[in-house]
Amino acid sequence: MIDAAARLRRPLWLRVYLGVTLVLFVAAAAFGLLFSPRDVNQGDLIRIMYAHVSVAWIGFVAVGLTAVFGALYLWRGKRRWDVLAVASAEMGLFFAALTIIGGMTYSRPTLNTFWTWDAKLTLTAIMVALMVGYFVVRGLIDDPVRRGRVSAVVAIVAAASLPFNYLAAEWFRTLHPAKSVALDGSGVTMDPTMLRVLLFNTAVAGLIYLGFMLDRVRLGRIEAELEDERMAVATAPTPGKEVVRV
Amino acid sequence: MNDLQAVLWVARKDLLQEARSKAVTVATVFFSAVTLGVLAFAFGENPLLMREGAMGALWVALAFAGVISAAQSWQADLEDGALETLLTWPLPRAAVYLGKLLANWGLMTTLGLLLLPIAGGLYGATLGPGWPLLLAVIAAGTLGFALIAVFYAGLTANLRARESLLPVLMFPVVVPILLAAVRASNAIAGPGDLDLAWAWLRLLVGFDLVYAVVCLTLFRFVVEA
Repeated sequence: MIDAAARLRRPLWLRVYLGVTLVLFVAAAAFGLLFSPRDVNQGDLIRIMYAHVSVAWIGFVAVGLTAVFGALYLWRGKRRWDVLAVASAEMGLFFAALTIIGGMTYSRPTLNTFWTWDAKLTLTAIMVALMVGYFVVRGLIDDPVRRGRVSAVVAIVAAASLPFNYLAAEWFRTLHPAKSVALDGSGVTMDPTMLRVLLFNTAVAGLIYLGFMLDRVRLGRIEAELEDERMAVATAPTPGKEVVRV
Repeated sequence: MNDLQAVLWVARKDLLQEARSKAVTVATVFFSAVTLGVLAFAFGENPLLMREGAMGALWVALAFAGVISAAQSWQADLEDGALETLLTWPLPRAAVYLGKLLANWGLMTTLGLLLLPIAGGLYGATLGPGWPLLLAVIAAGTLGFALIAVFYAGLTANLRARESLLPVLMFPVVVPILLAAVRASNAIAGPGDLDLAWAWLRLLVGFDLVYAVVCLTLFRFVVEA
């Protein structure tokens, strides 16, 4: 039996971490809202970009890590990889949904439309659909081993399809603002202050991801233990023994 | 029995079963015919819109038919524990997947070849001089679609609500294949831009190869009993 009530409480170090992250989040928002210069073309609207782009980047990292944890689960078969994969998937779905909301907020005043069939938008929408599918599959399988295995497969195929979705959609047509930061290191076409604010916002989004991950993994472990205990009770009932259900 | 023979035997079993039950044939042929009809109504009386939408309508019909066909190929094996028997054979799991893939691909390509003139005629589209390339696009597009459809149909075969779950899971993954197939077909049937069609076809074949590798690698985790 697990003393769930005591374990559900967040440990002190995690509370401190989350508190510091909250302070940094406020600072990042302030940098974007106050210190960033106005954009030549977009004026104050550029301030949405800091929240939007940083969240989008971390969202893709989260989905990618879900696949990595899924692959580790398939390889090693250890329950903790599955717990990590779920935690990352939840954050991936959350950040992807935020990306779409932020993107629509940003695109209405700048591009004069809520939605364009642009490569990045299409990709993010598909990513949301893929992650929803991931959770639907998880919800339908009771056996934890089979659930972990099948959902890991779903996560890996989903992540593998993302580059192709992007490629196909980019070839299809695109209206999204061109990348200001080329990932191949060929250069940055952005005001240095703006870039610093963006990178700071991205770092804070990463810290938020990490904080939620730590907390979710902590809960996921308890969840997994309880589930295993219930399975054991269900398969081999011992007469006369009380079963505590939380 | 070597692995190639195993693949062919699984494909033969599925096709034989289909030849006797005709469950997929009846469902997909009528369903795709209805789809083409409904889309023709949706386009209205604008002949230009009809011509340009012909290939899109063809692929919509093929995509929905492909889901039915893939789901049915596992569904039939669920009865009387046939799937368990199949999986206890000393075959690599990938052989079961490849066999079912082959059977599904065959059915979908046949359906595509059947629908192509119907869609062309119904929507007033001319296939142009590039029609042999269009056959290659149909073959490559249905292969990519069947790769994903059979994979996910196997994954959902034992789950509750599999009928509604299969499209939810597979369509986001299959988007690049459909997009490339529709673009390539449109480039051929519309303006006859064969260079553009080649570019999309090459991309399509690339997608097929990558998905084939991913699905073959992961399939043993999908059906492991």
